[in-house]
Amino acid sequence: MSAPVADPVVRVRGLVTRFGAQAIHDGLDFDIRRGEVIGIVGGSGTGKSVLLRTMIGLKKPEGGGIEVFGRPWPRREKELRALQARWGVLFQNGALFSALTVAQNVRVPFLEHTRLDPKLVGGLIRVKIDMAGLPPEAGAKYPSELSGGMRKRAALARALALDPEILFLDEPTAGLDPISSAAFDQLIRDLQQALGLTVVIVTHDLDTLVTITDRIAVLVDRRVIVGTLSEHLTNPHPWIREYFHGPRGRAARREP
Amino acid sequence: MADEVWARLEVAQGGSRLLLGGDWTLRNASRAAASLPARDGLAPGPVEVDTSAVGAMDTSGAFLLSQWLRHAAGGGGAASFAGGNPAHHALVARVELRERQPLARPASPAIVRLANRTGRATFAFARAAANLLQFFGLVSVKLALVLLRPGRLRLRAVVAHVERIGLHALPILGLLSFLIGVVLAYQGADQLRAYGAEIFTVNLLGVSILRELGGLLTAILVAGRSGSAFAAEIGTMKVNEEVDAMRTMGLDPVEVLVLPRLLAMVVALPLLTVYASLMALAGGAVMVVASLGVTLPQFLNQLGEAVTLSTFWVGLSKAPVFALLIALAGCYEGLQVTGSAESVGRQTTKSVVEAIFLVIVADAFFSILFAQLGL
Repeated sequence: MSAPVADPVVRVRGLVTRFGAQAIHDGLDFDIRRGEVIGIVGGSGTGKSVLLRTMIGLKKPEGGGIEVFGRPWPRREKELRALQARWGVLFQNGALFSALTVAQNVRVPFLEHTRLDPKLVGGLIRVKIDMAGLPPEAGAKYPSELSGGMRKRAALARALALDPEILFLDEPTAGLDPISSAAFDQLIRDLQQALGLTVVIVTHDLDTLVTITDRIAVLVDRRVIVGTLSEHLTNPHPWIREYFHGPRGRAARREP
Repeated sequence: MADEVWARLEVAQGGSRLLLGGDWTLRNASRAAASLPARDGLAPGPVEVDTSAVGAMDTSGAFLLSQWLRHAAGGGGAASFAGGNPAHHALVARVELRERQPLARPASPAIVRLANRTGRATFAFARAAANLLQFFGLVSVKLALVLLRPGRLRLRAVVAHVERIGLHALPILGLLSFLIGVVLAYQGADQLRAYGAEIFTVNLLGVSILRELGGLLTAILVAGRSGSAFAAEIGTMKVNEEVDAMRTMGLDPVEVLVLPRLLAMVVALPLLTVYASLMALAGGAVMVVASLGVTLPQFLNQLGEAVTLSTFWVGLSKAPVFALLIALAGCYEGLQVTGSAESVGRQTTKSVVEAIFLVIVADAFFSILFAQLGL
């Protein structure tokens, strides 16, 4: 377990998740620090995506609580909306609105949360599309006209629209070829440094974990173990050993 | 460094100096945009930017500044930073947009655009008709092949579809038909009363329901209920790549998906038509008995004189053709789905519109045909 930190952006305390009689999380405690990149890993069915969905409020926890920006979970709709403007979420398949073009997709958060001059919004949309590594003409395209990698970039542009403080990414590199994956990792690292983001990544991609995360939260035995990569490497837990010392783990760490 | 945001331009001999302060963030974006000084106050020469009083800056603030600087630089002087957080300067450089070529589109006159669209729509319509005909041919061939080897027929699927198309439609179809019968009897009696010919309401009911309304009503309801379901089911399978998976495993989507639905429809629709006609007649009978003072035996007697068995068969003979058209439109549009969820919705709507259109056109053809045959 990590030592308590001052000013965590997300504080998870005693989180319990249950599906029927089956407990998925049984008292998770961990903090996410401002400005770090944290990876969430775990075997299939350990509730990685569920944890992410709980942190962004799509699912209510069965027990325990989550504090974001040092405040308990908002009860009022208005506070929740204010909170939602301070984070961006990239869903696994992008979840772009298929009836809207890329530019219109990026515009949605602006329409929902701000009242700015349309010309300024238009400029900001072009900036976000550019920052996500898409060519300017991609803005006029519909999601169905984009490749998988471009769709993820478009979804990233939408997640970045309101300059969020936290960026939640669900399997950002799943379904991308290794070159696109590496480029996407680099893009996230660049943006994180340029914008001072806190990034939470749910991933299976060991390369992503090794290249861009500062700390890793491992979900195992319905609990969470948080630490840096080197801390996890010395952990005797069988699943963690298998995960980081298995052939793929070794390959990702460039170790024979 | 509160919510205050400001920008001040100092003009000196050798150039200009832009001082910024406050939080240059999205929340302050409108105020920040307003605070940037007009660029015509710039002195010729280089522009220096001092951001040392800036508290926070995000991409929106950086974008405003970068746009301002680009135009300032366009006025002759080069821009540089002097003082402030280097991270902010990096951000301003990061959001600078590459100059883009405006996409010049020659605007054609409205009449040309109208002609263009009309032409495209006409061709699209013709192509859709040709494709549907082609699909009909394909399905016919597959059906013939399956009938030659009946072992390949997926009887279980056919039965399941008959249940869903037929049995599950009984309550709603029965209610609708009954009510239509009531309405028809009421309106007919109202008009015929002027001639003292109320009893001919029964003739009106018998002929119109058995020849036309029973079949048409059933076909339209089933097109909306089951034709749309065909399109949505097959379309969703297309989106999930299930159809492609079938093909790679050597299963023929037409044989597996289309034929059972088609056969089930051809079985179920005539049965539903008989049922709907009976329910409509029952509705009419209730109305006639209740409001015209006719007894039920009188009603049945009159009905027996008004219609012959051939009236019934003429009405029923159309049902299998309607069934074919509805099933073809539903399955065809389902297979036309590409990629997205939106496409499923679009093709489903299309399938219903097409099915109803085809049913009514076919009904008109039948009317002419039967008139020529003297039925």
